[in-house]
Amino acid sequence: MNVIVCNELTKTFGSTRAVNNLSFTLAQEGITGLIGRNGAGKTTLLKIIAGYLLPSTGSIQVFAENPFNSVKVSANMIFIDDNMAMPELMYLTDILESAGRFYANWDHKLAMGLFEYFNLQPKQYHSKLSKGMRSTFNMIVGLAARCPLTIFDEPTTGMDVAVRKDFYRALLKDFMQHPRSIILSSHLLNELNDILSDILLIKDGAKYLHLPVDELSEYAVGLQGKEDIIAEMTRITEVFYRKKLGKDSLYIAVRNQYTKEELQKARLKGLEISSVPIDDLCVYLTAKHEGGIDDVFDRN
Amino acid sequence: MLNTDSLKPIYVQIAEWLEMEILNGNIQSDEKMYSQYQLSDMFNINPATAAKGLNILADENLLYKKRGLGMFVSSHAREAIRSKRINQNIKQLALELVAEAGRLDVDEEQLIEIIRTANLQLRKEKSQ
Repeated sequence: MNVIVCNELTKTFGSTRAVNNLSFTLAQEGITGLIGRNGAGKTTLLKIIAGYLLPSTGSIQVFAENPFNSVKVSANMIFIDDNMAMPELMYLTDILESAGRFYANWDHKLAMGLFEYFNLQPKQYHSKLSKGMRSTFNMIVGLAARCPLTIFDEPTTGMDVAVRKDFYRALLKDFMQHPRSIILSSHLLNELNDILSDILLIKDGAKYLHLPVDELSEYAVGLQGKEDIIAEMTRITEVFYRKKLGKDSLYIAVRNQYTKEELQKARLKGLEISSVPIDDLCVYLTAKHEGGIDDVFDRN
Repeated sequence: MLNTDSLKPIYVQIAEWLEMEILNGNIQSDEKMYSQYQLSDMFNINPATAAKGLNILADENLLYKKRGLGMFVSSHAREAIRSKRINQNIKQLALELVAEAGRLDVDEEQLIEIIRTANLQLRKEKSQ
């Protein structure tokens, strides 16, 4: 059974199309990265999946049901972001205990283990936590709930590097023991792409691509060298990014449609061939200008 | 351990690391190979990626499956990996070496001399 099926989903706010004719299917357990620029429509999409918002047009099915007003979806899904409303007058540990009553798979041992590991104070109020500590606490709730569909909307806001690394590892370990569907939106793709199984890249509210991470890492290739040699190589392929280096050299990121032999030949002609890190690739793919920010300065 | 900047995808790097484990005798013939979950835990990668790495070796018959028990190293694996690497890596490196030498106007004689010196140096270091 498919976990999520979106069909030509559109959500408009006034004249803005936050989600634009988006279709995708999440078929099985895995950790999916939802990637897009600021304002690309990530949060809106996640809120529609969670059943917090109704789409303007199109259809969505979560666990084969419309998530809006669905008890089944609410009971089997948890949505974690930094605006989570927590009771003002409850201590953190009390919140964890109450949260356990809402979720059938709640693992209190895991929750308390993480709570102590991250040095959270039991007699503390949620509203008094620092940004990083609040994100950490919310993340603990998200992991311990063990919902078949777990959604993290920018879970690492404010966390320091050490906590983020611990979080990624905790997520992976818990996922291995209890495979489920986890969707993670984040801007820190380079930190987490190893633990992802697939990436859903959205641009201006529309799906740009949805691929297993392995395929995405081979999607593009970086070429650096003399302009004329590069021009020969790029006659048929799509160029995602172009940057001039020195007098007559170029660095470009292109769609990798070359055979091993072609790349080998190019290397012998003096081209430097490199992989394009997935986070850079996603920036190039979602950019509106081929030259990036340099375009603004070069115009003057 | 893993090089995220490399042109090689993570699952290929995993496959190569597994080959090294067989090559240097850490895992012998008919011994059990790491499971996808062990690899996932070791390298902090998604289990699907780890499985893809294992499958590369399985597809080349370097590993064989025992139903319900996991993957095991084939008896000919070590030799097969050795000859594959000679055919691919060494020849590849040689090609790049010759190309760089060409760009720097190093002739064949000089190049062979450089290789001999490197070989001697390594042998000396090993014997120490």
